[in-house]
Amino acid sequence: MNVEIKMLKTLQPKESVLIGGLPGIAYIGKLSVDHLIQQLKAELVGEVYSKFFPPYVMIRNDGIVELMRNELYYLKNDAGKDIFFLTGNAQAFSPEGQYEIADKVLDWAIGLGVKRVFSIAALLTDRSFETPSVYGTTTTSVLLEEIKRYGVLSLDQGSISGINGLIIGLAKKKNIDGICLLGETRGYRTPEGLYVLDPRAVKAVLDVLTALLNLKADMTLLDKQTKEMDDLFKKIAEIERNMREEITRKPSYVT
Amino acid sequence: MEKSTWETHYKTVELNEPIAVVGSSGLRSIGRLVVDHLIDEMKPQLIAELYSTHFPLIYQTKPAYSPQPELPGIGGVEIESGEVGLPRVQFYAHSHPPLVITKGYNANFSGQYEVAGRVIDFFKELRVRRIVVVAGYGSKEKKVCCAATEKKIIDEIKDKFQIEVAYKGPFYGFSGLVFGLARLRGIEALCLLVSAEPAPTDPEAPDEESSKMLLDKLKQILDLHS
Repeated sequence: MNVEIKMLKTLQPKESVLIGGLPGIAYIGKLSVDHLIQQLKAELVGEVYSKFFPPYVMIRNDGIVELMRNELYYLKNDAGKDIFFLTGNAQAFSPEGQYEIADKVLDWAIGLGVKRVFSIAALLTDRSFETPSVYGTTTTSVLLEEIKRYGVLSLDQGSISGINGLIIGLAKKKNIDGICLLGETRGYRTPEGLYVLDPRAVKAVLDVLTALLNLKADMTLLDKQTKEMDDLFKKIAEIERNMREEITRKPSYVT
Repeated sequence: MEKSTWETHYKTVELNEPIAVVGSSGLRSIGRLVVDHLIDEMKPQLIAELYSTHFPLIYQTKPAYSPQPELPGIGGVEIESGEVGLPRVQFYAHSHPPLVITKGYNANFSGQYEVAGRVIDFFKELRVRRIVVVAGYGSKEKKVCCAATEKKIIDEIKDKFQIEVAYKGPFYGFSGLVFGLARLRGIEALCLLVSAEPAPTDPEAPDEESSKMLLDKLKQILDLHS
């Protein structure tokens, strides 16, 4: 089993788009796609299994075991083109695996009528900002001009790690349209090295994506999460400040 | 070598929809100890062994089931009573009650799916009706808990044996992947986990007390009388 797409529903091919976002920096790709799936009530139609996913399983809260996998959701969209979503709990651990999975998912999507692929990723920055910018790269210059009209900044050079970038690269090889939107983030990590969620960047990306696709999605949850994260960072900053003051108050001599 | 994972069959046995018990090295060697004790007590027949070029001669990881592939570790051919043997998964059969007792082995990072997948294939050939995976999880509290491929198994174990769900999180290595692939391939599976205190400097240091707790519960569930 290199890559296996397990279909849970039979679908008829129809012109549609694919939006992919898998776990990566600050979970921007995955959170964006999961938010849309949840808010738009998309339906789980397929599961992707592969020996290239990290070889362990997760035991859920209810005690049920789950392999690492990617999931494919479908939304029948009366206001525009139907949408497939690609999300999951892991990326392949090797480049060979990333290529095989991206290739198989794209072929599956193209077979169902997908003509345009969106992927969502993160852009790490060390600049300070109030509102994160959204950068973009596309498979053609015409598409780049199209997304610039929605306030997206052109990512003139750089690289995108993992499948969130590869899927656009392979889309170009397969002669279909590809757009990658990258949310600007500081990419904070926990002391254990895990990325801290960045709901503010997710919202910035989704504002662009929903406008591009003429979708209406409730962002209240992301606003709430952003406030929670802001409060958390304020508390951490306060603790740090108090500790510094405590240290400077103590006598600095030894008798 | 034509195949990277292959089996040697020693004996053909007819088992009536057996239950497969699966354990391997891992946290405090719980899975391995439970399976070893079961083999000692029940005297099953060795029916097959599975070999793989993915069983490392030098582990890419330490311990073998670590999710991080960069760290070095120990592995290689095994020497017992002066004789050398390749690292292997062993399958033992017991007729009444029908059991396939499986002593697992952790493959390297990229070979774990292949090995676990082949084990599931063999269980299908043997018409295994249920897999019971035994392992440990890190905790100071002494407790046996369960996980499963479907809710009805959890309900059954809770009702009959008062064993509840307690651990959530990742399950690494051979046994975890056999458990996960069982769900994908449609074999029902129960996992019994006993808490064991992690030993960071020697993760596989045997914990006999926790293993005994788990073995007792396993015997109760399988209706084995010692």
